[in-house]
Amino acid sequence: MKEKIAVLMGGRSLEREVSLRSGERVFGALQELGYRAIALDVTPELTETLRSEKPDAVYIALHGKFGEDGTVQESLEFLGIPYTGPGVVACELSWDKALSKRLFAGEGIPTPRWVTFTSDAFKEMGAASALDLVPAAVGGFPVVVKPTKQGSALGLTKVETAEGLPEALLTALSFGDAAIVEKWVEGTEIAVSVLDGPEGPEVLPPVEMVAKSGLFDFQAMYTAGETEYYCPARLAPEVLRDVEELAASCHILLGCRDVSRVDMVVDSSGRPFVLEVNTSPGMTETSLLPMSAAAAGIDFARLVDRLACSAHGRAR
Amino acid sequence: MGTARVIFDRWDGRYAASMSEVRSSAVRDLFAAASRPDVISLSGGMPDVRRVPHDLVQRAVKQALEHDGATALQYGSSEGRLALRRIIVGLMSESGARATEDDVVVTAGAQQGLDLLAKVFLDPGDVIICEGPTYVGALQAFSAYRPRVECVEMDEHGMRMDALEETLKRIGPRGAKFIYTIPNFQNPAGVTLSADRRRRLIELAREYDIPVIEDDPYGRLRYEGGHILPLRALDPDVIYLGTFSKIFAPGLRLGWIAAPRPIRARVLLAKQAADLCGSAFAQAVAERYMTGTAWRRVLADLTRTYHTRRDAMLAALTEHFPADVTWTHPEGGFFVWVTLPAHLDTKPLLAEAVERGVTFVPGSDFYPAGRGSNNFRIAFCYEEPEQIAEGVRRIAEVLEDKLALYRAFVDAGAMPALAVSGGSST
Repeated sequence: MKEKIAVLMGGRSLEREVSLRSGERVFGALQELGYRAIALDVTPELTETLRSEKPDAVYIALHGKFGEDGTVQESLEFLGIPYTGPGVVACELSWDKALSKRLFAGEGIPTPRWVTFTSDAFKEMGAASALDLVPAAVGGFPVVVKPTKQGSALGLTKVETAEGLPEALLTALSFGDAAIVEKWVEGTEIAVSVLDGPEGPEVLPPVEMVAKSGLFDFQAMYTAGETEYYCPARLAPEVLRDVEELAASCHILLGCRDVSRVDMVVDSSGRPFVLEVNTSPGMTETSLLPMSAAAAGIDFARLVDRLACSAHGRAR
Repeated sequence: MGTARVIFDRWDGRYAASMSEVRSSAVRDLFAAASRPDVISLSGGMPDVRRVPHDLVQRAVKQALEHDGATALQYGSSEGRLALRRIIVGLMSESGARATEDDVVVTAGAQQGLDLLAKVFLDPGDVIICEGPTYVGALQAFSAYRPRVECVEMDEHGMRMDALEETLKRIGPRGAKFIYTIPNFQNPAGVTLSADRRRRLIELAREYDIPVIEDDPYGRLRYEGGHILPLRALDPDVIYLGTFSKIFAPGLRLGWIAAPRPIRARVLLAKQAADLCGSAFAQAVAERYMTGTAWRRVLADLTRTYHTRRDAMLAALTEHFPADVTWTHPEGGFFVWVTLPAHLDTKPLLAEAVERGVTFVPGSDFYPAGRGSNNFRIAFCYEEPEQIAEGVRRIAEVLEDKLALYRAFVDAGAMPALAVSGGSST
C-alpha cells in the first residue's frame, strides 16, 4: 500500500467552494493512484484529526486565506507533516501582492506600475487627500484596484476615471487591510505554471484567458462558458520564451517549491508584465494549472502524483 | 468526537440542470459551519416557539386523537380538511380578506404554496416581478422553474409604484407571469406597503393583466400603526398565501393558498402530484388548537415579546450604529434592513462579525444577482433584548472600522457625503 495522504480542502476562506472542487478532484486522483487518501476540512478538529490519522503527507488544496498565506504551512511545519507546495515564507511573500511586487521591481522583473494604500493610511493619515497623485504615480487610467491579500480576483475593480477610485478602494478594503492600485495593461492575459523537476523549475505551456466580459474576475473564472482558454497561449515564439524565463525567475525569487502559477499580461508590443504569483493554484475542471500540465503531456493524475511524491519525499 | 473528514457527493454530475440554479447562499453556508454556541444569531427568522405553551399543544393533540383519530391518521383530501379551511376563511376575514372554503388549498407551509404556484405558472425564461430585495425562500422556490426575475425597488412605504409602472411599461401587458409581493413588514426590508400603493398596485395589475401573489406571513404581528387591508380585500383575483407558522408554530408545516377557482383547480392538481395530500394529523391538531385553546392569548403574548425585541433592536441601532448607516423601521414582523454607504461590501464583513460572535445575512442573498452588496438583514424575533443589544453593538464595532475609512474619503473630498445620515430609510 502506498503512502497515506491527507487532502486539505474547504476552510473558511471566501474561496471555500472552489477549494472543495479542487480537493475532490485531487482526492479522486490520489485514490486512483493507489494512495490511502483522506479528505479533511479546516475545522477546529483539524489538528486533532491530523495527529490521530498520522498522514505521511498533506496535499494542500486550500485557496485563499489560511491555505495560501502561510498559516496552514506554519502549522504543518510544527506538526512535522510534509506538505505539497511552497513553504511558509514563499507563501507569505506571494500572498501579499504589495510585497511581491516590490520584490519583482527590485529584481528588474517587469510588473505594472502601482501604489499601495493601507486602510490605516486613509483612516489615520488622511491619505485620501493625495488620491489626485495616483494617475501620475501609476501612469494614468485605467487602473485595477484590488486587495493585497485575496485570491480569485475577489474585491477587484477596473477603474476608468478618477471619480471611480475611492469607491473601488472601499470595495477592495472591504476584503482586507490594504489595497493596490495598479496600472491596467491592455493585452493578453496568461497564466504560466511552474513545476519543480529534477533539473530545477520546469515551465509548462502558458494558458491564455479571454473573458467574454473583458475582465477575468471571479465570475469569469468559475462559470463554464464565461472564458475562452488557449493553451499554449497565442504568442510569438520569442515572447513565449520571455514569459517562460520570467515565470522561472519569479518562482525562484519568491523561493517557491513544487509548484507555482505566475499570472501575467503581455502588452501589444509583446512585453510581458508579472501580476502575481499563486502558491496553491486551483485544480478544478476549469483551472489553469491542470490545463497547462495536460498541454505538456502530464495528465491530472500524474500531476497530483508528482506533487504528492515531492511532499512525502521530504518526510523526516 | 469531532473529525475534520469531508464527505463527497459521488452522484455529482447526474442531477437535473433545472436544480443547478437553486442555491443556498455560499456565504451563509460558510458561517453556518462556523457557528459556535456563544454566537448571537441575528440572521435567522425563527418564530419564538419557546413561548407556545406545551400544555395547550398537548391538549390539541389529545383532542385531535380522541375526536378525529380515524380521519386524522388517514390520507386526507388534497385541498385539506374542511374544518381547517373554515378556520382559515375566518382568519382571512378578520384581516379583511374575502374567501370561501372552496377558494382554499392547505399547503405544507406557505413555502409549498410558492413552489406550487411557480410550478403552475412558470416556464423557463418567463418573467416574474418581485420586490428588490425579496424573500430568499421565494427566490429559491421560483428558481427551479428558471424564470427571469425583475426586481422593483422599495422605499419606506414598500414597493415603489412608479418603478413598478416603469417595469410594466417595459414588459407590456401580460409581460410577466405574476407579481410577487410581501406587503406587510416585508422580508427582508421590514417595510409595509401603504394603503394608497395597494390600491395602485391592484390598478396596475389589472391594467397590465398580470396576476398578483400576496404573501402575508407576518400580517398579524403588528406592533404599531393601524391595520392595512390586504390586497386580497381589494381584489378577489389576488392569490393569497397565509401560514400558521407565525400564529401557531412552523413545526406543523401548515400554510394555505386562497386563489380564484380556475387557478385553485390547477394548484390542486399540482398539490396532488407533489404529495397527494397534506398531513391530516397536523391539520386536525391545528383545528383543535385554533378552536379549543386560548391561542389568541398566546399570540398576543408573542406579539408583545416581538414588540419588546423590536424596540430593543431599534434602540440599540440608534445607540450603537455609526452615522452614515441607515436602517428601516418595521411596524411589525421580524426584520430590519440595514444600508451602508455604497461600495462597502457586507459579505467579507460577515467574516469579521462571526469572529466577534454575531451573525447577519448579507444583502446580496435577497436579490437574484449582483445587488444588495452594501446591505444586510438583521432579525429581532428570536434573541432576548439584552442579546439583541449586544449583537447590534458587536456589528457596530465591525462597521465602525469600515466607516472610518469611508469618512476619511468623504472628509478629504474624494467622495460625496451620503444624502441621509443615520435614522431610518430604505
